[in-house]
Order: sequence, then C-alpha cells, then structure tokens
Amino acid sequence: MTTLSGAKPAGFDSFWQATLDELATLPPAPEVVEMPLRSTDFATAYGVRLTSIGPYRIFGYLSIPKGNGPFPAKYYLPRYGSVVDLVPQGTANDQRRQCVTFSVSARGQRLADQPYAASFPGLLTDGIADLSSYVYRGIVADCCRGLEYLAGLEQVDGNRIAAIGADLAFTTAALCSQITHLVSSPSLSYATADLAARTEAYPLEEINDYLRLHPSRREDVHNTLSYFDLRWFAPRLSATTLLMAGSDGESLDEVALQPLVESVKGSCEVHKSQHSGYRDGVFSEEWLTRQFGLPGPSLPPHWQP
Amino acid sequence: MPRLAADKYVTKVRKPDDVDEFWDDVLAQTAKIPLDAEVNHDPLRSSEAIDVFEVFYTSLDDVRIAGWYAVPKERDGLLPGLLQVPGYNMEPPIPKNWAKKGYATFSVAPRGKLRSNRQFNPGYPGLLTYGMVDRNTYSYRGFYMDACRGVEFLLGRDEVNSDRIGVTGHSQGGGLTVSTAALRPEIKAAAAGAPYLCGYMDAIELTDAYPYQEITDYLRAYPGCRDQVEQTLAYFDGINLAHRINCPMIVSVGLQDSTCPPETGFAMFNAIASADKKIYAYDGHGHDANGRQHGAVIDAFLAEHLKV
Repeated sequence: MTTLSGAKPAGFDSFWQATLDELATLPPAPEVVEMPLRSTDFATAYGVRLTSIGPYRIFGYLSIPKGNGPFPAKYYLPRYGSVVDLVPQGTANDQRRQCVTFSVSARGQRLADQPYAASFPGLLTDGIADLSSYVYRGIVADCCRGLEYLAGLEQVDGNRIAAIGADLAFTTAALCSQITHLVSSPSLSYATADLAARTEAYPLEEINDYLRLHPSRREDVHNTLSYFDLRWFAPRLSATTLLMAGSDGESLDEVALQPLVESVKGSCEVHKSQHSGYRDGVFSEEWLTRQFGLPGPSLPPHWQP
Repeated sequence: MPRLAADKYVTKVRKPDDVDEFWDDVLAQTAKIPLDAEVNHDPLRSSEAIDVFEVFYTSLDDVRIAGWYAVPKERDGLLPGLLQVPGYNMEPPIPKNWAKKGYATFSVAPRGKLRSNRQFNPGYPGLLTYGMVDRNTYSYRGFYMDACRGVEFLLGRDEVNSDRIGVTGHSQGGGLTVSTAALRPEIKAAAAGAPYLCGYMDAIELTDAYPYQEITDYLRAYPGCRDQVEQTLAYFDGINLAHRINCPMIVSVGLQDSTCPPETGFAMFNAIASADKKIYAYDGHGHDANGRQHGAVIDAFLAEHLKV
C-alpha cells in the first residue's frame, strides 16, 4: 500500500475524550472469583467481571503468580473472534510464573456475550453506518476499563505493563498512559477503507459485503472507520513499542506502516514477520523479556533452543 | 536434554480393541436421525461470482448444526465438493476462497461453535474436557458426527459430484480432517494441517500450552479420573482412527509447533492406512506449519484428486 486515503476527523480527540469521560463516570464494580481449575502451583487464576460503558458487564481472565510481587504484567487484548483465552493458544503456560496476565473479553465475545452476543462475521460492521452506534466504541472502552483494573492491582508493577495484541492493543495503549510497553500487529484498523478494497479475505471482507449491499452508506462507513484509524492514535502513544509488520510486499509491510511508525510519540521498533508463529513468537517474547528485565523468556518446549 | 527428533517419537497411545465397533455404532445412531437440512441464501455474504448460503441440519443427539455453503455462480457441470473443518478457538470461515477455486464448499460449525451452541455450549476452555470420563458423554463424540454430517449435506446437493468430495482443515480442522476421512468412506482426498486431537496423552507431556493444557488442568483437579480419561480419549485419538483412512492424504506439521506437537502429527501419519500419503514437515515453523507456502501444496493436491 503506497498511498493511504483519509484524514484525521476534526472530532477525533473530542470523541475519544468523551468516551473516556463516560467510562470514568461508571464504577468498575469488580467481581473476582477464583478459578481453581485454571490455577497451578505457581499461579492463581481468577475470573473478573467489570462494568464498562453502556453500562455493560465485561469479563477477563486474570492470573497472578504466587510469591511476592509486584510483578510485570501482560495485558492481552482481544483479537477478532468469539473466544478469549487465559493466555494465547500456543504460548507457554509457564509465563504465568513470572508475570501477571490479564485477558479481556470485550462486549459480544464469549463470557461477555449477555445481552449482546456478537456474530463472526458481523461484528466488524455492527452499527458501522453511524459513529454513535458503532460497536467498536464500546469495545475500545472495554479494553480501557480492563487496563484500568489491571494497573490498579497491588501485585502489578506499574513500570512494567505491556499491552499485547492487534489493533486494540495499539488503541488502548494510545488512550491509557499506564501502559508502558506495547506489542502490536496492526491488521484491521490502519487505513481500513484502503485495506478492505484490496482484499477478499475476512474479516475485512465484511466491509466489502456491507458496502455491496448498502452502497449509499459508503461515506458514512468511511467516516466511522476514520475514528478508529491507528494513524490518528499514534501521536498519543508513548509506550515503548514493537510493531509486528508483514513481510515485504504485503499490504501491511514495513513500508506501509512507516507513516504510523513516524507518528508514534514514543520509541517504536518494527519487526518484519517471518510468517512463522514460532520465529515471530520467540522474537516478541525475547523483546518483552529484555524490556521487562526478566532473567529469561517463557517459551514453550518446542520454541526453546 | 535435547528433544528427540519428532519423527522418531514413539507414541504411548494404545488402540482399544473395539474402536471400530464403537464408531460404527455411533455412525449408525447418527444415520437414524434425518438430516433435515435448511438452506437459506445470504445476499449480504454473496458476491458477483459466489453464492453464499447459511445452512442448518440435525446431528447426533438432535443437535442443530450450522454452516456456510459457498458455490461459484458460473459452473459447467457438476462441482467437486469440499468440506472445510474449523480450528478450536475460531469461528468457521465463509469459504468464498474455495468456491472461487471451483469447489462447492461447506464450512461446518460443529456443536458449541457460534450458531450451533443453543443446545450445547461448553465454552473455550471447556470443550476439550467436557464429559471426558466416558466415551459416550465426551464432547467430541457429537462433534465428530457434526463434521461427518457435512459430508452427507454435500452428497445431497444436486450441483455436487458425489464421487469427488474432499476434506481439509488446520489444527482442530486437521484433527477433524483425520476423523472425517476415517469415518466417511465417501471422502476421496484429505489435507490435514498441524492436526490436533492426535496423541492427546502424549501432547500433555510434550507441551504446556493451551488447548492441551486444559487436560492437564483437569487431571490436576481430578487425579482419580486419569484412567477413565485415558480410556475415553483413546477412542477419539486420530492415531487410533487413521487405520480407517484409505483415500489419498497429505499432512503438514511445524517442527516447532507448541500447540499441536509435531511428534503427534508424525504418529498419526504413520498410522494412516492409505499408501498414497505424504507428510510435509516444516523446520522453523510453529503452529502455522508454513501455511503461507503450504497452501499451494494443498491446492495442487485437492485439484489433482478432485478435479480430474
């Protein structure tokens, strides 16, 4: 992608400030229940329910190492799908030995799907023709609420809180200054209108489907999407950042992401994907281990040298 | 101590003497239930070139199962059929990409997936260990049948050539590819990526990652159930079903796969009865199993066996 369309909406900053202000009026009212089945001899697991805007109750899986904290924290933001894992599939469960982990289910995802159960496909365009009704405003607020809860735990070291995930990790880190580190793989919210026009793959194909059926709403859809574009969040991002880019020639390769990298307020390193969950996974885990000053990375057996 | 090479690993899984009887009985129970397929055109998901339908049918225990069916609008004669089976924590994709390649493709949402979870919803984590103490209550008894019924759905379509039906999937989809190819002789070609549900009890010793970690969690909470769990899982293990696979089959594994350890993929592959089989082992790759490049291998394999 060499030319990106769209500009920062005039109301971008006020829109997000109003969202955060609305969130601040609602007490999080945490309900925390221990989950013995997911607890181990080195970490205790909990299910956490919190109030976000709406008001709407969301869910998160929390794991706290046994022993004396405070501990660095990994905040896993939801990817696009109904399932949220305690820790991401395929990563070492042993990471729960040295870090607090928190995985949030945003509205519509499993365990946060009452009364709103999202469809997949479907979530990406739910309410998209009107900025005020687009479901992602609430989802971003859910992610901010989760971070606020995590950062307030006495077991968490406030100097070492990493947001990890795709677009929502980036957005949350930009809106919440408590996040000190970010590992993000932009996929849907970067020049989305341009991205969607270049693919037939889901979930971006949802936008093409929607516009095919409702061509008169194109301008409204693009307006809504512009409020969620990572380019306009980047100047607010001060966390030390690792951006996971596609390999050369892909739609979100290092060149395509360059405008984003240049806009980030804090330090930003770009890693070019090697299209290997193993190689990219080891790289990001080792990067975060260095940033956190931990003795060594938590790698599953097949990733260890 | 360095790990043994994945292809040298010796599985600890033992095959029950009556595994075939068990599955023949489950298949017979399922066959008694009318499919009662409902097929609704979806204008939102259809495009200029592809028609997309939302499908529902009835499976074992009278559970209503959903799926997406995609077919090319322009066609000349009967189409090869393809069953696409989903991963563990993903929702079934709308298979427009396969339809674009000329296949009448059905993408099934087995019980517990969205749109198939009204009657059964153990959640994630949860599905892998649900009812695991008895082979007749284990979640995958119905789950496997839900995928098999997808073959029946394709067989009943006028536009599908019933002699050219294949199955493909990755991860849990790889495991379901194994089980479906084993249980439905109508399958003429099978392509499994990074197969899950193979070597369950090996896997919990080889990796600490989820989803297999669910079993470790369960056995930590209920250590007295270990024998029952091991006995149950043996009936569902791809290693113990592979002897029923007689169609051409390809399997891919990533040698650094921490989700579905490659050792278990090799063990399953070795048990496949078909002489026409090949495994692609990708060094430097994890659970992706080099999917970016291996996709072309799958395309060529399915075209060779289904489009002749």
